[in-house]
Amino acid sequence: MPTPILQVKGLRTQFLTDGGIVTAVDGVSFDLFPGESLGIVGESGSGKSITALSLLRLVPDPGRIVAGQVLFHNQDLLQVSGDEIREIRGRDIAMIFQDPQSSLNPVLRTGFQIDEAMLAHDKATPKQARERTIELLRRVRIPAPETRAKDFPHQLSGGMRQRAMIAMGLANAPSILIADEPTTALDVTVQAQILELLADLNRDLGTAIVMITHNMGVVAGLCSRVLVMYAGQIVEQGPVEQIFENPQHPYTWSLLRSIPRVDALRHERLRSIEGLAPDLLRPPAGCRFHPRCPFRVEKCFTDEPLLQEVAPNQEAACWVTMERARKEMDADNMVDIRPGAGSGVHKGEITD
Amino acid sequence: MATTAAAVITRPTTPEQASLWSDAWRRLRRNRLALASAIYLALLVVVAIVAIFHTPYSYREVGVALPYSGPSSTNWFGADILGRDVLSRLMVGAQISLIVGVGTQVLVVAVGVPIGLIAGYYKGWIDSVVSFIINVFYGIPDLLVAMILLLLLGPSLNNIIIAIVATRWMDMTRLVRGQTLALREREFIEAARASGAKPLKILFGHILPNSLGPIIVQATFGVPAAILFEAFLSFLGIGVQPPTPSWGSMAADGLAAIRIAPHMVIVPSIALSLTLMAFNFLGDGLRDALDPRQKR
Repeated sequence: MPTPILQVKGLRTQFLTDGGIVTAVDGVSFDLFPGESLGIVGESGSGKSITALSLLRLVPDPGRIVAGQVLFHNQDLLQVSGDEIREIRGRDIAMIFQDPQSSLNPVLRTGFQIDEAMLAHDKATPKQARERTIELLRRVRIPAPETRAKDFPHQLSGGMRQRAMIAMGLANAPSILIADEPTTALDVTVQAQILELLADLNRDLGTAIVMITHNMGVVAGLCSRVLVMYAGQIVEQGPVEQIFENPQHPYTWSLLRSIPRVDALRHERLRSIEGLAPDLLRPPAGCRFHPRCPFRVEKCFTDEPLLQEVAPNQEAACWVTMERARKEMDADNMVDIRPGAGSGVHKGEITD
Repeated sequence: MATTAAAVITRPTTPEQASLWSDAWRRLRRNRLALASAIYLALLVVVAIVAIFHTPYSYREVGVALPYSGPSSTNWFGADILGRDVLSRLMVGAQISLIVGVGTQVLVVAVGVPIGLIAGYYKGWIDSVVSFIINVFYGIPDLLVAMILLLLLGPSLNNIIIAIVATRWMDMTRLVRGQTLALREREFIEAARASGAKPLKILFGHILPNSLGPIIVQATFGVPAAILFEAFLSFLGIGVQPPTPSWGSMAADGLAAIRIAPHMVIVPSIALSLTLMAFNFLGDGLRDALDPRQKR
């Protein structure tokens, strides 16, 4: 087992709102190994983006990181000074964002902005920076990089802009690249190209990639390991193939079942997960997924499950796990997946 | 796959580098009123520069014509109460107006922009203090501030500029603060922060270039306001001191003799009005040209 390049321990990020404290990230721990590509999936509001932003202390304003450690090269990124974290941002850990339309400064030339990423860390003279910018743009497969570098962002297409963002992220050859839904704003063919590009860079440069997405397909295509987040917590993690073939948490199972399939029968309805993501101001007691879980048992209403090994390298936070749900509740043949359907514990039977 | 497809696409011709500025310039040229104003102002600058080296008569030489005499072939705009040439005084007055107008706005930008950037970016107590001071300055009448300052400092051209800046810096500060408050939440600022940019770099390298348009417009509108304020102060006699002419003091001198020599009031007033109008039209044109909401 290689040593992790980044270790996150017990990360907890809260937002102070008028209604009270929202714990957006609640005790998240994971390791990132050199050169691996890790996916973090979850629905909107599951805390995956805030987790990513917390790593670099970029949580937007009412948000505070209240507990945890982010260990990188034996230092805790949550404890280092403002100047030190600024040096690490972009140099060792780079980040690319969802919307390439708005992540590039509209009044500065694209190439200049990539130069800046290098100059901010005194990595090069302006002339060297420009040479490397051209090289990077070529690397991310932007045609005619010399002229494109002189273009303004609005003169580039959406896909090209995201390539330019990736080039900017790679400018200082970081050891970790955090990609926060980098393909969401792009159309499907361009998505595929960007994912292919990220996979190539991961393989050729050995840059570890943390891929934040709500799209299981993206994870399947790019990542080797995946964390599934629900309501600010990791509910399942493990190698991608294992998670896809044999998910152990009912949430992961439901997520995978809700992917539309081309080979589905025409009249078959799209499956969705019943209910809504919980209000993080007042998270449910016990397991946070229990109000929506078809396989819940009485224990789920009161006791919070912790991540436990369910298979080699695979962990899930569930009292029941899918193995038991399959054996005892006939999960595979279930048509009705309303909350409590499998276990027979229905809504309102246990007041929490 | 992507490589080959992309590599095949060669760009037939290098398209025009349509930057924000060239775009704005194109739109400005289309605005006839703004263009005419710009030409007028360019001529005014030329006149002011020529006046440094040459005026028909010395602006302070008395008795070059009969006092109160009207326009003639030797004195195009007539003579004033002491028989000084009005055209020569008007030319020197243009220098004063331009120096005051542009000088105050340069200072207003130098003071207002950094304060606005810092208040808008850091928010918190810094912003509260700045906002409080702005409100205090807005609360005191402009004329009172200017008069007190001029009484304390003495009426010189520099002090007039300082006095006007003291009454005008808040507009710019408030504008830039508002721009910064909006821009700091944009994703490209977050992206810049994520790439390790220092706060000063973010302020002056990312936020400032994005607010340059409104700043330029605001400064352009500020120039005529400052010129008018100077003319007003000079009209009251606490501005530029004699014998240096200012359009305001020239009009004030002429007011006493408006029945016998109306040209003494009319000539500087027209010069002042034209200049104010030109700056305002130019400001309007710039606002339209630089407004990002008006595409194409």
